[in-house]
Amino acid sequence: MRHNAFVYQSLDEYVARAAAFLREGLDAGEAAVVGQTRRGLAAMREALGADAQRVTFLNVEEAYTRPARTLAAYHEVYVDQFRNAPVVRVASDVQVGPSPGDWDEWLGYEAMMNHCFAHLPTWALCTYDANRLPDSVLDAVWRTHPEVLTDETWTASEHFEDPADVLRAITPEPVLLDELRPMPFADDLESFREHLAQELAAEGVSGAKSLDLLLAASELFANAVRHGAGVAEVRLGRAEGRFVCEVVDRGGGFDDPTAGYLAPREGVGSGLWVARQLLWRLELFHSPRGFTARAWL
Amino acid sequence: MKDGSRTATRSRLARDAERDLVVAAEAGDREARRRLVETFLPVIAGMARTYRGAAVDREELVQEGIAGLLFATRRYDVALDTPFWAYASFWVRKAMQELVADLTRPVVLSDRAARDLARVTRARADHVSRHRREPTREDLSVATGLPVDQLDSLLAAQRAPLGLEEPLGGDGGTGTTVGEAIADPLAEQPYERVLDRIEIHEVRDLADRLDDRARTVVRAHYGLDQPAQTLGEIGATLGVTAERVRQIEAGALQSLRAALSVPARPPMGETT
Repeated sequence: MRHNAFVYQSLDEYVARAAAFLREGLDAGEAAVVGQTRRGLAAMREALGADAQRVTFLNVEEAYTRPARTLAAYHEVYVDQFRNAPVVRVASDVQVGPSPGDWDEWLGYEAMMNHCFAHLPTWALCTYDANRLPDSVLDAVWRTHPEVLTDETWTASEHFEDPADVLRAITPEPVLLDELRPMPFADDLESFREHLAQELAAEGVSGAKSLDLLLAASELFANAVRHGAGVAEVRLGRAEGRFVCEVVDRGGGFDDPTAGYLAPREGVGSGLWVARQLLWRLELFHSPRGFTARAWL
Repeated sequence: MKDGSRTATRSRLARDAERDLVVAAEAGDREARRRLVETFLPVIAGMARTYRGAAVDREELVQEGIAGLLFATRRYDVALDTPFWAYASFWVRKAMQELVADLTRPVVLSDRAARDLARVTRARADHVSRHRREPTREDLSVATGLPVDQLDSLLAAQRAPLGLEEPLGGDGGTGTTVGEAIADPLAEQPYERVLDRIEIHEVRDLADRLDDRARTVVRAHYGLDQPAQTLGEIGATLGVTAERVRQIEAGALQSLRAALSVPARPPMGETT
């Protein structure tokens, strides 16, 4: 993967650069994807003219919700595009919110993009609107993109950081949740799911959301059995208004902030990838109880 | 209890209630979404009024604002320590700005686009003449052979928005302005349409990806929106053994897992 950034001063500048970037790919037989707001998409359609029919348009106002879900959404686009093209180019406008915590979330997203799709022949141009975004976000572009387009030239970033380091720096230390209660469980996955389903029903969680957690928690439970010397404890309850389920295992655990952010590929387990896209948040940490996988629904 | 601490407790309760409402709205609870929208509709409508000179329909602005509010629920994290409206108002404003920019953007149509637009206009007139009602986007798409998203672009380009202070019915009209004629969003609940639109876009029940029998088994066994049943009870209903039900369920869960972890496969195994 080639993962670059471009900071633009006006919509006209964005359109000129992004359209040229995608056209270059189309001319070489590559697939082209543009992720933008409706206004940006309309402007790009107009600029691309007849070529627009060969471009996939993605509305970022729907796609940029939670970083893991956005990565999964782009991965679905890749699954589709690679059916017919050897290389995929993406010009995508990053949607950053108003608060520093939000900026960190999407800094982490950009950092993980480097690992997530590293195995794919794709060139992603992340675009940033200089007029709408705070300086700290624009400065951080250099920390997460190996190359940045400035004044018509590609400049290698001297400030690029290891994505795992970026993620580690911005991930808050998990808070111990004493309000969670233990849930009885047997060693088999089916009875674990049955117990969990009862708890979810008792909490009034909808069927659709319950199924999300049943699938995600199954992955955490299976991981603890397979890699963590077995499940020591399951705890659940409400915290911060959300249903939370912890699976504590008997093993030594691991310390890898990138776990679950690698898109599915040969030789890499996809259990945590599945869990992350189904959950609001997944925390993996060492606590006095043991190595803990905490699922926030 | 002192007044100060009572006020603090009340405010804490209000914060918790708001947080729970936002979480429920994010989870797809339509009633929670409706209540959230009702809570913030006055401020959204107020924000829409600031675009009075922008020649954009106020009701459309309010609807965009509501969509922005609901989008905010899908990102807002209470752990960020930002009050919800402080966070959501950014997305509400952004949604309105996008609409205003989209509708007031100068558009130069290519010859081809102009021809396509003429086809759309003819198709609309035909439809109104035959059916005595406005066509849907899908009707127009079928009639013209143009994809819906291309239709949207053409229709957006065609629009010549009326100013809110512009009189309706031309010079000989009643003197009522466009702004006055727009229904009060609080009374008309235009947000029902926004809720519908958002629900259509968010097909997020994984069980819908299963075939009928597998979906029945998974929902019944785990009591998803219904009382839970044992594998034996489900088997008796379906006329199969409990073991067969267990196999159907295992296959269903495995297929959902597989669908969420399909690897992208570049042709000829190309990787970088």
